[in-house]
Amino acid sequence: MDNITIKGNKNGIIAYINSGTFDEVKKELQNKIENAKDFFSGCDMYIVDKSMNIKDEDYIKLKNEFKNIFNINILGYNSDKIIEGNEKIFTGIYEGRTKFYRSTIRSGQNVNYNGNIVIIGDVNSGAEVTASGNIIVLGVLRGIAHAGLNGNKRAIVAAYKLLPSQLRIADLIARSPDSYDEKPKIPEIARIKDGAIIIEPYLPNKHIW
Amino acid sequence: MGISIVVTSGKGGVGKTTTTANISTGLAMLGKKVVAIDADTGLRNLDLHLGLENRIVYNLVDVVEGVCRLKQALIKDKRYENLYLLPTAQTRDKTAVKPEQMEKLVNELKEEFDYIVIDCPAGIEHGFENAVAGADMAVVVTTPEVSAVRDADRIIGKLEAKGLDNHQLIINRIKYEMTKKGEMLNIDDMTDILAIKLLGIVPEDEKIVISTNRGEPVITDEGAKAGQAYKNIVRRITGEEVPFIDFEDENTGFFSALKKFFFKK
Ligand SMILES: Nc1ncnc2c1ncn2[C@@H]1O[C@H](COP(=O)(O)OP(=O)(O)OP(=O)(O)O)[C@@H](O)[C@H]1O
Ligand SMILES: [Mg+2]
Repeated sequence: MDNITIKGNKNGIIAYINSGTFDEVKKELQNKIENAKDFFSGCDMYIVDKSMNIKDEDYIKLKNEFKNIFNINILGYNSDKIIEGNEKIFTGIYEGRTKFYRSTIRSGQNVNYNGNIVIIGDVNSGAEVTASGNIIVLGVLRGIAHAGLNGNKRAIVAAYKLLPSQLRIADLIARSPDSYDEKPKIPEIARIKDGAIIIEPYLPNKHIW
Repeated sequence: MGISIVVTSGKGGVGKTTTTANISTGLAMLGKKVVAIDADTGLRNLDLHLGLENRIVYNLVDVVEGVCRLKQALIKDKRYENLYLLPTAQTRDKTAVKPEQMEKLVNELKEEFDYIVIDCPAGIEHGFENAVAGADMAVVVTTPEVSAVRDADRIIGKLEAKGLDNHQLIINRIKYEMTKKGEMLNIDDMTDILAIKLLGIVPEDEKIVISTNRGEPVITDEGAKAGQAYKNIVRRITGEEVPFIDFEDENTGFFSALKKFFFKK
């Protein structure tokens, strides 16, 4: 139940949507408001959704329902004023919001979170994982991973076996070699160093290359 | 109550219909009461594999549209009297049937049969949704090619999203020579990527082509290697523990890959 983060500022209440389908998001938002109905009643609310999962018609429905049920005025969806002012680059890569997945992410599946992602399973070729923070895979990473999605250049991608078809960190892209001749025998980390993505053993001093 | 098994793959032409025909026949050979359903509406083939094409009067679409009763559309096999085929329409498309209708039909058949084996069309669209609707178990077929393995992975993801977690893998068309030389994905590679239980390995066998053309599933051919592989698969489906056989002793590369897999568990 961490699809949503609610914050307040001078403009009103901002609901940041980190992940989830519209139905999940709506249910969670309702639960959160239900717990403090009086506090929310009459307030202005903005919705910020970087993954743009909510369709226009769903947004309008949500807006009407929240006005009727909770007396909340939803004033904007991804409105520029709010995003520019508040949604900074995600900084919680040393300590922060993290989502855990306990399954293999298969071809055609897409995993996205506004925070760090830990996958206990493999990420297969044809699958995509994007996070505004770090991506850690306790298995084989064969698909595409994009860490630091909204610009954090210190974000890392680490995997038990790092064999991605493509790696992105912040705005940098690295493609895999056309064939992996030597498969890694130890966990590896990808990070940005001197303006390029480099891959190194998880503990650089432990292994002599 | 019977068990319904869907045979699926994602990629086309990897051997779903061949597998369906052989598994159905094999289960019938063990004395089980079996019905094979062709869910590939518009591109039906299962009737040919079983040699029953000239007996079709009614089909699956007729049943869901109420043109005939379910019993009337079932065709009794030539060789095994406890094996039936429910063919589909060749002149209609996949949208002629809805997943709910398919589920209802399969549940009805489960009352009467021990096994219902469903031949799924290629792809992930409506036809796939229909074929998996009433299934208790899925058999995912792949060949040792990167594209087939990726499509199988996609299908497994779709099955898991539906809560169909009982899925097992058949690797079809293994060529020993190429596997030995490392020119083909080996079994370890595939089970490593797909991470599901291995149900069986079927070698490339030209006898399959001959038997398909004759309408006699290869499992009825005592001398065929592929037939032996299907026999083992069928026994595993009925819950028996059958070791993975070495098809060719002289082929150390392939055999050792198998052995390694077998002892891993
Ligand atoms: N193990 C094998 N050895 C040799 N040929 C094979 C083998 N398995 C399948 N084939 C051949 O491959 C072709 C395709 O098989 P089949 O029709 O069973 O695939 P399918 O997955 O049902 O195809 P579609 O997606 O079109 O329904 C057939 O001509 C069949 O004879
Ligand atoms: Mg077929």
